[in-house]
Amino acid sequence: MADESQPTTALYKQTLLAGLWRENPVFRLLLGMCPTLAVTAAVKPAFTMGCCVIFVLVCSNIIVSLMRNLLKPHLRILMFTLTIATFVTIADLFLKAFVPRMSETLGPYVPLIIVNCIIICRAEACASKNPLLVSIIDALGMGAGFTLTLCVLASIRELLSTGMIFEVQVMPDAFVPWAAMSMPVGAFITLGLLLGLVNIISRSRS
Amino acid sequence: MDMVTTLLLAFISIVIINNLVFTKFLGICPYLGVSGRIDMAFGMGMAVTFVVTLSGTMTWMIDNWILMKLGLEVTRYVCFILVIAGAVQLVEMYVRKFFPSLYDSFGIFLPLITTNCAILGLCLFINLWEVDSLIEAVVLSFGAGIGFTMAICIMAGIRENLNLADVPDCLKGAPITLITAGLLALAFMGFAGMIR
Amino acid sequence: MSKIKHFIEQSWLLIVASFAFGLLIAVADASLDARIKQNEKDKLNNMMKSLIADAKDFQLAIDQVQIEDATTTDVYKAVGKDGAGIGFAFVGAGGGFADKIKLVIAVDGRCEKFLGFKVLSSNETPGFGSKIAIDKPDSDVDFVDQFKGAPAGEVELIKTGRLDVIRKIDSQIVAISRATVSSEAVVRIFNTYTEEIKKQLQQKGLISDGG
Repeated sequence: MADESQPTTALYKQTLLAGLWRENPVFRLLLGMCPTLAVTAAVKPAFTMGCCVIFVLVCSNIIVSLMRNLLKPHLRILMFTLTIATFVTIADLFLKAFVPRMSETLGPYVPLIIVNCIIICRAEACASKNPLLVSIIDALGMGAGFTLTLCVLASIRELLSTGMIFEVQVMPDAFVPWAAMSMPVGAFITLGLLLGLVNIISRSRS
Repeated sequence: MDMVTTLLLAFISIVIINNLVFTKFLGICPYLGVSGRIDMAFGMGMAVTFVVTLSGTMTWMIDNWILMKLGLEVTRYVCFILVIAGAVQLVEMYVRKFFPSLYDSFGIFLPLITTNCAILGLCLFINLWEVDSLIEAVVLSFGAGIGFTMAICIMAGIRENLNLADVPDCLKGAPITLITAGLLALAFMGFAGMIR
Repeated sequence: MSKIKHFIEQSWLLIVASFAFGLLIAVADASLDARIKQNEKDKLNNMMKSLIADAKDFQLAIDQVQIEDATTTDVYKAVGKDGAGIGFAFVGAGGGFADKIKLVIAVDGRCEKFLGFKVLSSNETPGFGSKIAIDKPDSDVDFVDQFKGAPAGEVELIKTGRLDVIRKIDSQIVAISRATVSSEAVVRIFNTYTEEIKKQLQQKGLISDGG
């Protein structure tokens, strides 16, 4: 992604923005689908999950980038996995301690961040080959893109299934909620249609 | 007799009613990627069943017999993922050595399975549901694999036909697969409440 | 010897990292553990408090009451301002439509009337069975309210109810329309647990006539 000699601010900006649209982890790279479908029934859990992923991404990218010259090739996936598992455990402990209700809602999907393809892919593709600052910015960009995607999907689902966004009533009282949106059906179909929309937009641009 | 009924009900519940793909959103990445053809789908499903049965059992044993006894529950996630990675390696070596023909048909999927959320997800769910007995853990793990295989084969069958249909350009590939999965999830919802 | 040397040479980073990460997890766990345990205790206490408003504290009244088919539960006594027992609360669980339903049920100090219930965890169909968790009296969802003040004994589920039937406080509970199975599950939990707990409370002499 970069050569180690002179990363410029333009490169930083490009790296940061890449995660938001051009290489958006969910819509373009099709990674991390499982939590995208599972926690987006409402915006609050989606946002919490996004923040956890940002935390784990940044920490693991930092550690991997610091270790990148010491890694033995055949053990590197194991090292990545160990690093990610550690930070996910810490994130989970923080959630349980400070926001227990959210931790219950998210349930087993927080530890599933360990096998979230986004984090391991970024560790492999970026952090293990780039200096510290580029890795951090890449993590922030990807994490922000992921969180944004989750929140967009969650707003649509929450709006249509309860008339609220982030537990604030938006739809008028006469609105009959679409219960299907909070069920797996709604998740799959909404994501599928959103992906189609993203395809239309990106094709019309190029 | 009671034990057998419980196990049978647990098996049916995880294959049909609490299917990992359609109700718990696990294993979506390989589900989208490998469901193009029925033979590949079946191979992937069998590989997943193999690994998940082994991992589910081993993680249950480690969790109940070692971690909880020593009060080390906080290391649960690290232990689980290491066990799963190890199990995948073991299975791959074993299959390559003793069943070479089997390795040819589904061996290529085995390295992909470590990051399959379905495996870790199932181990965590078994932990969440507070499963008490080893045999129930084995049955649930095996059932989860069978459920995944069934889901992916149904999807492969549908996708093979979708190739001949007139799908709009923007929806080709992942979007139409997701929408189809949504409709399948809707159909499977009809099974909810079957076991009380 | 050289084999061991080669092994260490290849994996020293792994070993060092494992120790470092283990240490990190241990530190995080040690500092947050107390808080996490407190959160779990608070959750049950807060639910019980919302059912028995005047309670200042909850004490464990009976430990591990054996309900049929090998489930056990604990009964908590709600202690009021002057130290007198003003009610009891317990957690009941049973199979609902989709998954297990866990309720916190409260009865008054003499175990004569139900004070209501709250849903601890449930996974019922959103929009239908999930209505067992909605506690809005006078709305068109009147399920939870019907339990408040109902006699503490066997409750019966009926399916047709006019407003005067619903509003009458007695042991007949009108089911949520289009969510019969979930309503039935709640009623079943009430019936399974109350009988045994009432018997145990009487046996232990915890229900007194002046209570």
